[in-house]
Amino acid sequence: MKQAIILAAGEGQRLRPFTVTRPKAMLSIADKPILQYVVESLAQSGIRNIVLVVGYRKEQVYDYMGSGEQFGVDITYVTQEKQLGTAHALAQAKGVAEGEFLVLPGDNLIEADAIAEFVSMKPAAVLVKRVDNPVRYGVVNIARGLVKEIVEKPKEAVSNIVNTGIYTFTAEIFNFTESMLDIPDVLNNMIAAGHSINALETDGTWLDVVYPWDILSLNDVVLRRMEASLGGTLENGVAVKGSVSVGADTVIRSNSYIAGPVVIGSGCEIGPNVCVMPATSIGDNVVISPFTEIKNSVIGNDVNVGSSCIIQDSVIARGCILQGHFTACSSQDEIRVNDSYHLVNVGAMLGEDCKVGNGVVAQPGVIVGNYCQIQPLKLIRGILPDRSQVF
Amino acid sequence: MCGIVGYVGEKRAHPVLVNCLSKLEYRGYDSCGIAVSAGSLEVHKDAVRIKALEEALSPLKGTIGIGHTRWATHGEPSQVNAHPHCDCTGRIAVVHNGVINNFQSLRQQLASEGHILSSDTDTEVIPHLIEKYYDGDLEKAVATALRDIEGSYAIIVLIADEPKLVAARRDSPLIIGIGDRERFIASDVPAILDYTSRVIYLEDGDIAVITADSMAVKSDGLGVAREEHKILWSVGDAQKGGYEHFMLKEIHEQPKVIRDTLAEYIAAGEPVADLAMVGTGLGDMIILACGTSYHAALIGKYIIEGLVKIPVRVELASEFNYSGQASVGNRAIVITQSGETADALKAIKRLKERGCQVEVITNVVGSTASRIADQIVYTRAGPEISVAATKSFLAQLIALYWLALLYSKVDISQLDTLNLC
Repeated sequence: MKQAIILAAGEGQRLRPFTVTRPKAMLSIADKPILQYVVESLAQSGIRNIVLVVGYRKEQVYDYMGSGEQFGVDITYVTQEKQLGTAHALAQAKGVAEGEFLVLPGDNLIEADAIAEFVSMKPAAVLVKRVDNPVRYGVVNIARGLVKEIVEKPKEAVSNIVNTGIYTFTAEIFNFTESMLDIPDVLNNMIAAGHSINALETDGTWLDVVYPWDILSLNDVVLRRMEASLGGTLENGVAVKGSVSVGADTVIRSNSYIAGPVVIGSGCEIGPNVCVMPATSIGDNVVISPFTEIKNSVIGNDVNVGSSCIIQDSVIARGCILQGHFTACSSQDEIRVNDSYHLVNVGAMLGEDCKVGNGVVAQPGVIVGNYCQIQPLKLIRGILPDRSQVF
Repeated sequence: MCGIVGYVGEKRAHPVLVNCLSKLEYRGYDSCGIAVSAGSLEVHKDAVRIKALEEALSPLKGTIGIGHTRWATHGEPSQVNAHPHCDCTGRIAVVHNGVINNFQSLRQQLASEGHILSSDTDTEVIPHLIEKYYDGDLEKAVATALRDIEGSYAIIVLIADEPKLVAARRDSPLIIGIGDRERFIASDVPAILDYTSRVIYLEDGDIAVITADSMAVKSDGLGVAREEHKILWSVGDAQKGGYEHFMLKEIHEQPKVIRDTLAEYIAAGEPVADLAMVGTGLGDMIILACGTSYHAALIGKYIIEGLVKIPVRVELASEFNYSGQASVGNRAIVITQSGETADALKAIKRLKERGCQVEVITNVVGSTASRIADQIVYTRAGPEISVAATKSFLAQLIALYWLALLYSKVDISQLDTLNLC
């Protein structure tokens, strides 16, 4: 297997506001876009000929991935103008597909261990995995190593083996992509037409993010597996516990306490007297002022956090400016996304470039859109659309 | 503007030349051509885009050659006017970027001596002059021929039976790329980034003799050493990635450019350059530039006048060269993205003759402007391939702000309320 086709055109609607400015594949987990994990896993498995099917906010992908040389791969881009489905996305790559190839979702976090065995699997094949909550996925019915049927999001799952969206195919697949929009439907049609589809089970890392708070659980999993690498400058009296990575040109000032797993990007100014607690990712060029505590959270690039803030189980997207005494405590809350209710433990989720005044308190589960402005001393809750102004 | 390239090494020259030329298409694309030597010269040229030439060509032998992509100045775009141009014998081929001012009189003289010139170009006189002076020593013949020429040039000369190239420049850019047992010559760095990041910038008046594993540069007949530079741009910087064209890519690169440029200035700790220059204090100042850089200069006037409260005059470098006046003690900023803008270079020389301190804002490390300036502020825009400038303009504004902020006489916290563009 020499070629991989990665489907990275999707928006990830349920992940708004974080996917208003970027495709789902470009969401950052532990300071790296999801797509980068996929590409790096392929490079590790010796697959360097990569076709990226892009669509929604494709410039974000171009700007970050370029021609791939930075990641040791060679990238060809194909555009899917309308995001109609995975089979439709794959069909866009018909002209550049060569021989036997791998197909992967660009917006699932895939590590090399998940695909190591699968890359030599004879097409057509599906990579499957056992999960705790199969009804969110396509449940795969397997007999003697062959796929019998894939049932998307069943009411009741017959097994806990689900489709990872990772396949091997030959050009034959394109005979079936015309009539169906999604790959599982295409496979069901192929099976009905007498083709056999192999199945291989993996216990490697394959993680999907569907809702905004999933970013936190993925971040946690990835951070726990990450190796520490300390760059930058740590002033006297900084305590570093556990696995902590710090990027170049970052300064962590005296009496700060960093308890890993934590990753901090480059060019940051942290402290003095700041606590960064486990499972926290902090992007590049972030400023965190004294007496702030951050725990189990994801902070994007260029964020400025004022002094004496409490940030727990929260996602703060790129470019937010939080003034002092911002409080985002975590507790269990029921959140509605697209008519379905979810009971989760979460703090605040803020979109890009929000400005939050002094002493603002965020109710657990608040989702603030991009470019919102919140005046000092306000209490925010529920879902705020993009560009909201809270007076 | 035209683009020229040369290759000497162990690979087949033909595909290398075509690839290098394709990276210089921004310098002109109405005609193109290559000449490759495998004992005898083979010249292929036409008034077509490089892609069309590439498709029309069957593979050529020979590991040494030159190429040209043209934007016509003298003579219409046509096959006969396309470069390379040859002498009467077809043994000497020349590619040229620049303008020869006295080509009319040279043509008449050469014609009267029996040379047959077939094109309408100014360039064609060069191979014939070299032919006239050639007595077995190509370098000497080129040096003698160039003495007859008035105007600007960057040339590469190929001769049929010798495994070497002779390159020379005056007022037009030319660089040499150093590979492993191979050498590249080009008008601009992006042409050779696929092959090497080790680059030597030739200076005005230089004549270089280049073989696969050696090069010797002479200036005024004396051997000189030219410093080797390591180019930090990557191949990816000069590729389109997924974008349809470079302009769109470069617009999207703008946030990164601001970040990179500022990060470099901040990391430097001390001012990269000083608006007041060494020990002269701040007085009035002029800013000179051409094209888009001139528009950055116009904004620069507002930035500096608004922040530093000194009078600033902005002029087009091309106009300044013919009429503008600088008084002794004037400080000047000259802005040129490439560091090779002919009018900007001329202006710098003129300013320095008057005793002005000249600060240059440029994007290209090692460029001519950076070598002759008193102080240099580099922008970190990376290679700008699109002819329409976008990210380099923004980086120039960042540089101007950075220079001015050090001497700011206004409350920085009130910056948002000031009308500084």
